[in-house]
Amino acid sequence: MTERIKKLTELTLSGQMYAEPTQTVFDQADLLLPKQQMESKRICEYILNQEPKLTEYSCLTGFFNFDGSVVGDAFRRGGHKATQEAINRFYLKPVDNLSTMEWQHATADYAKILNKGISGIIGDIDESFKIHDDAEQVEFLLALKRVANALIAWAHKCSERALKLSSTVENAEHKSNLKKLSEALLRVPENAPGNFYEAVLCIYLCFSADPDSVGTLDRYLYPFYKKDMEKGTLTKNQAAEYLQELFLMLQAATKVTSAYFTRGGESHFCIGGYLPNGEDGFTELSRLIVESMLELPTYIPQVTLRWTKKTPREVFRFMLDRERKDPHKRIAFQNDEKRIKCYTEICHIPFEKAVGYTTVGCNEPAFLGAIIGSNSKINFLRSIETVFHKKAGLIENAQTYDAFFDVFKKELFDDLMLAYQYDDFYNKQRAQDVNYISSLVFNDCIENAKSLTQGGGNTVVASPMCLGITNVIDSLCVVKQFVFDEGLFTMKELISALHANWHGYEDMRTLILKKGKFFGNDDDTSNYVAQRLYAEMYDFLKDKTNLYGYHWLIGDLLGYNVHHKWFGEHTKATPDGRYSGNMLKFGLGQSEGRDREGLSALLNSIAKVDPNGIGCGSTVTNITLDEQLVKNDDNFEKTVDLFLTYFQNGGVHFQLTYVSKDDLVAAKCTPDEYKHLRVRVTGFSDYFVKLNQAIQDDIIARTEQT
Amino acid sequence: MFTAAIFDIQRNSYADGPGIRTTVFFKGCNLRCAWCHNPESQSPEPQLMFYKNKCTGCGKCKEKCPYALESCTLCGKCTLYCPHDAREICGKEYTVDQLLREVLKDKTFYETSGGGVTFSGGECMLQIDFLEEILKVCKENGIHTAVDTAGHVPYEYFERILPYTDLFLYDVKCYDRDKHRQYTGVGNQLIFENLKRLLAAGKSVWVRIPIIPTVNDTAEEIQKIKELLDLYGTPEKIELLPYHAMGEDKYMAINREACIFSVPSAQTMENLNQIL
Repeated sequence: MTERIKKLTELTLSGQMYAEPTQTVFDQADLLLPKQQMESKRICEYILNQEPKLTEYSCLTGFFNFDGSVVGDAFRRGGHKATQEAINRFYLKPVDNLSTMEWQHATADYAKILNKGISGIIGDIDESFKIHDDAEQVEFLLALKRVANALIAWAHKCSERALKLSSTVENAEHKSNLKKLSEALLRVPENAPGNFYEAVLCIYLCFSADPDSVGTLDRYLYPFYKKDMEKGTLTKNQAAEYLQELFLMLQAATKVTSAYFTRGGESHFCIGGYLPNGEDGFTELSRLIVESMLELPTYIPQVTLRWTKKTPREVFRFMLDRERKDPHKRIAFQNDEKRIKCYTEICHIPFEKAVGYTTVGCNEPAFLGAIIGSNSKINFLRSIETVFHKKAGLIENAQTYDAFFDVFKKELFDDLMLAYQYDDFYNKQRAQDVNYISSLVFNDCIENAKSLTQGGGNTVVASPMCLGITNVIDSLCVVKQFVFDEGLFTMKELISALHANWHGYEDMRTLILKKGKFFGNDDDTSNYVAQRLYAEMYDFLKDKTNLYGYHWLIGDLLGYNVHHKWFGEHTKATPDGRYSGNMLKFGLGQSEGRDREGLSALLNSIAKVDPNGIGCGSTVTNITLDEQLVKNDDNFEKTVDLFLTYFQNGGVHFQLTYVSKDDLVAAKCTPDEYKHLRVRVTGFSDYFVKLNQAIQDDIIARTEQT
Repeated sequence: MFTAAIFDIQRNSYADGPGIRTTVFFKGCNLRCAWCHNPESQSPEPQLMFYKNKCTGCGKCKEKCPYALESCTLCGKCTLYCPHDAREICGKEYTVDQLLREVLKDKTFYETSGGGVTFSGGECMLQIDFLEEILKVCKENGIHTAVDTAGHVPYEYFERILPYTDLFLYDVKCYDRDKHRQYTGVGNQLIFENLKRLLAAGKSVWVRIPIIPTVNDTAEEIQKIKELLDLYGTPEKIELLPYHAMGEDKYMAINREACIFSVPSAQTMENLNQIL
């Protein structure tokens, strides 16, 4: 790492690189203007009133934060009044113990920005005027154009400040860097960048328009990298430095005092994966991105390898090797085969576009230039609760598993439809805000003359997160095995046990926990039950869309919040041996030692569960491994093959944590001694001792695979 | 129809041959190694294991047992209802088809990693009719096969499985004949003779030597084994496996006293490995 980057790293980790907003005073007479005119005018004034974050060591600048005084970006939602109202009513507040509103992630279309510059985007706006004559749409386009011009002016202001700073700097290299920066900002992002450095500078500045994910970074930067390397105008070391400065900005975009400063999910991007021509996209630049990123002792961003059947084993091994050596747990793995199948076949997205997906936030799928269409959390286990506690009369005389399953299925689908109505409702609330600056950098908002959260974008999937899927599968397994296959107890007895919250039925519960054929053991019963559940969900959902026409998929991740705990607290006892009030499981996996057959069995169960890919929404599989499986080099090679096979078999995702259960329990009891223990949580990584108790308990309950 | 007594099937095993493997542990052994870490593998019969350290004395086992624990038919009811996993039945009969089904579950993992199935024990060669059959069907299904043996069986047994076995994991315990008899209950002449013939037959063999302090942890002992192996024809691999005391709880569970050795130091293992 160069001295310059070391210095910037110090400043970043001490919070000194945070772009503190400058308060802006607006003319009150603005209020008399039409809404879109007033709001966009104020955004422009706000942007141009900011001061760029510049130091003697800077080669890049131009990122700024919004402070809530104007309608800011569509990720942080500062100044989004309708969204704020919806957040106050529904965020972290479960409705009907079924649904709760969640945040939305997105990634700007950096390829478009690099391809045409903001002047080209203004050209697109001018073209759009020609096909839209609705007054509100015209006002929206005018507002976008105003904001686009403000971004160009902002770049010019940054240029001026860089030049001014250069005159005060003595170090010749630093002075030269600042002059180069000043000159470049007069060209970009107004125009398309002419080289790798300018391309990185464009991303750096335009990240302000949606400070979330940099998307498919290795893909859109590669033409610039290749051209400059071939011309001999760029060295690998220089490219690494620019990338590192970009990554440091992604870290610095979050305030050091925020809990999110150490959470990787705040900025998540992808490398590798299928290209539109059907080839694997992992390049020399992808490798450089990973190497340069992991050299930094930061927490943000995190990166996912998109694996394809054409990915060389060496690349997969390289990523797992870096993963095992990264104390900050910034690497995860995604299977393109399954995801692309889902996006093309279920969502009807053309292959050329489907390959442009990236993972954002914890592990939500978004396409470059698009948002994740829905993100609410659903209590998937409520349907089981309803069947056993409110409608037990419908099942107590069921003669076959199929007869029971039909009753359950109706409840499940009724719940899903209700939850999806809630999801549409949250989206309608959000749609009352207009996202001026973000809509500039997202696909089709300009062409449709429609704001991002009003459905302006295309190529979007809708993936609410269904918590408790494993609880549901296990509950169904218990019914099938004990009531119908083995007849060890009757349905009436099971219903009575659940109504009594297992009191007086401890033997039955012990038997279930010991002999239950639970998900993750790769046995016929649990595989059949799980696969049938997913197949039914596929049949039910495959042609359904949300209010904007985005196809519904199933997700299962948690996010930062303890929805699994709230939902669990209000959900009565269920057949999987769960007591009333116990939290739900999230992610597709197993815990509490219920996966008794070892890791290959667990991975087989997961890989086989959903051949159609309806579960390719926001999905995670967290695996806790004995460190010996990766520390010893012989073992490590086998572990590489293990996860490679898992992907070949159809697994969608995995991320790893290496720690013993004893360590986790000790860390919970004596947090001061385990301050540095870092773990994979849901789709992000964080310090274990900083997590709330419900999430700590969930991680402790995961089965440690040996 | 052949059946075999199996006491464990371990999937995703990294330790018993190349690649990712499924290791099948046969019940019954004709050696009585003092350091054995699977004492429940020695008897060919199913047996009840009782872990006193897990028992809270709740009495559930007695309540569920048809004979109030006065006698045992190995029905397993006590194990089903013990809330603390203090009781378990060790040993289950498998047909060749049943076992093959288990082995095939991880076939894709074997294919990617160059792994396969390892038949271990106990002494799997003691159930030679079954072993021959399961090896044959594994090969028919394209699975790499390994047999982990202590080698104290007639050589005809080896001859029967040679066509279907890709690799032998061959345990050599001790060069010293008296010590071998003292610590394993049998002499080592047949074991060495079989090893010699196996190597002469050109089979892939990995020799595995458990290192037991005070028994065979000297340079002289390992040197002599090495010299003998050089005479026989070099095996593909020689592995030294350090003794561990993880079987102690199992001795208690089958009501036997464990013979405890010390664990060899890393330095000892390094020194002995140098000889190889």
